Amino acid sequence: MRLLGMGKQAVAALADNKSRTFLMMLGIVIGVATLTIITSSVLGARAKVMKNVGKFGFDQIAVFAGSGKKLGVFRSLDVTTLTLEDAEAMEAEIGNIREVTPQINRRNVPVKHGNLSSYATLVCANPNWSSVWQTRAARGRFISDEDVSRLARVAVIGETMVEDLFAGRDPVGEQILINNLPFKVIGILEKRGTSPAGVDMDGRILIPLSTGQKRVFNIDHLGMIKVALKDPAKMDATVGDVAALLRERHRIQAGTEDDFTIVTPTQAMTMASKISSSFTLFLVLVSAVSLIVGAIVIANIMFIGVNERRAEIGIRRAVGAKKQDILIQFLIESLMVAVGGGIIGVVTGLLGLKGLSFFMKFPSALMWQPIVLALFCAILVGLLAGIQPARKAAGMNPVEALK
Amino acid sequence: MIEVNELSKVYVKNNEEVIVLKDICLRIDEGEFVSVMAPSGMGKSTLLNILGCLDKPTGGTYTLDGVSVEGMDDDELSRTRNKKIGFVFQSFHLLPRMKAWENVTLPLIYSDTDSNMKEKAGAALNEVGLGDRVEHLPRELSGGQQQRVAIARALINDPRIIFADEPTGNLDSASGTEVMRIFKELHRKGRTLVLVTHDMETALQSDRIIEMRDGGIVADRTVEAPTEVTK
Ligand SMILES: Nc1ncnc2c1ncn2[C@@H]1O[C@H](COP(=O)(O)OP(=O)(O)OP(=O)(O)O)[C@@H](O)[C@H]1O
Ligand SMILES: [Mg+2]
Repeated sequence: MRLLGMGKQAVAALADNKSRTFLMMLGIVIGVATLTIITSSVLGARAKVMKNVGKFGFDQIAVFAGSGKKLGVFRSLDVTTLTLEDAEAMEAEIGNIREVTPQINRRNVPVKHGNLSSYATLVCANPNWSSVWQTRAARGRFISDEDVSRLARVAVIGETMVEDLFAGRDPVGEQILINNLPFKVIGILEKRGTSPAGVDMDGRILIPLSTGQKRVFNIDHLGMIKVALKDPAKMDATVGDVAALLRERHRIQAGTEDDFTIVTPTQAMTMASKISSSFTLFLVLVSAVSLIVGAIVIANIMFIGVNERRAEIGIRRAVGAKKQDILIQFLIESLMVAVGGGIIGVVTGLLGLKGLSFFMKFPSALMWQPIVLALFCAILVGLLAGIQPARKAAGMNPVEALK
Repeated sequence: MIEVNELSKVYVKNNEEVIVLKDICLRIDEGEFVSVMAPSGMGKSTLLNILGCLDKPTGGTYTLDGVSVEGMDDDELSRTRNKKIGFVFQSFHLLPRMKAWENVTLPLIYSDTDSNMKEKAGAALNEVGLGDRVEHLPRELSGGQQQRVAIARALINDPRIIFADEPTGNLDSASGTEVMRIFKELHRKGRTLVLVTHDMETALQSDRIIEMRDGGIVADRTVEAPTEVTK
């Protein structure tokens, strides 16, 4: 018997009892819809994190001053142990290090131009910051070595700052006040958008590291050192080397905690993906429960259907249907219910995602993986739910069925 | 065509044996039109179902068309029913949501030749005088018409033998007469027919009557001049 014909017959059988078919689909619809939402949001969040980790640099690690640094959380500058000399020693002594860029980051630094004011994320760094972070000056120029050695009061500012302080006018050559100190704007940073931790990357202002240390904060230490590696495959070994070097330089006794934190791209990724995991867990539960309930409902209604259609089974057997033909017929029906429910569920889920992202900031992306996964689950549920009723139908004694 | 030796059917119910058929020996040749008669509950349907490869005997041998049936597995029995046998039941047994022609195609669905199904079904319906009811659903047809759809279904795969279990039992006499006329016609064309009936008048239209009692055959006689069906 050809599958097309069997498919048609299954559709006819399902159309014959629409409310029952609807009931059978309901659990699958709910299960698949939630599953679609979960996978889309998880994958969406992951894709976003991956993109940002990509920016973080797969061949880079970050060394922060102080222990227990969390991604996206800026610490105060009170840990004084990480220094420029540490950065230079790392670059000189560890073979796998290609480049280091020591820096001080500070959030919510008051900035002013005329009567316009704002708060900036102040980044004090050397000229190579630009290549390590792959962020160039879109207009004007970047900080130069000369700026660093002269402790020049020059600044490269982000687009948000251009908006806030200059209302979008060209700021290059203008003066701004950072922490009440006058700086000359020499360039504008490329647009970068928002980081995974929610930081506005265009709200940054870059000044020379030396200027930041001596003129703005009056300190000798650093906030962090970004380290670019020659061979990212040897990342673990290099992390170990950096830790050993810093512990030695900081004279940390064995058994005592580090006074620095090393963050690798994988760590950055896991930190960022912990967001909203309890919500995901809730949805996973809803989805699993609905799919299981859906399977039970399908199985039970199928059993009722098999009993009601004894005569049909008997007739089909009498005219030559093999057991396998009956089995396949009922399996196709349960599969169709499940796949139909799956398709409706995917559409509902995608609409639900749209709805959710309307009410809250929801990382989601229209991707094929959630759809494939959801439909796969639906097919699995259909097969599992249908197999027992279908076997019952196939195993029925044709004589008894015809009585 | 059919050769049965010491065939028996025993049901075990509540540790008690119910002997429905015992030591049935029977031979039906190609082209015969045989009636099986017995009071209710005497095992007519049971015998017919066994002969139709729908049920299995508990003892004895059965050879159909030169092939031993005991040795067949379920798939082979299904194939035999599909290719060699046509069934007609008392209560028609049509699928209610299928149109007349779709009901007729049912045996084709389970055979290898499922091309031009509607054409073939139309021809079969024509043969039973229902060429103008092809698109009707069973509930839109009279009992006699439904039984004729069932006969068309039994004929669609051109089987060698047709088993009919009280085919006129649910019909008024006019419809019953029409059904019997069709059977006579099939017989004339050389088809083997085995008919279960309660009704002597019906039985007398065949050319051999087998009477059963208490699970055995008690009489087996040839009808000298089978009644012709008159319209
Ligand atoms: N599954 C079963 N278990 C036990 N006994 C059965 C079973 N099926 C049939 N029987 C018995 O077998 C006997 C014969 O049944 P069968 O249907 O063959 O009779 P019949 O001659 O066709 O009767 P009717 O004229 O009423 O159709 C009956 O007495 C019935 O009770
Ligand atoms: Mg009977």
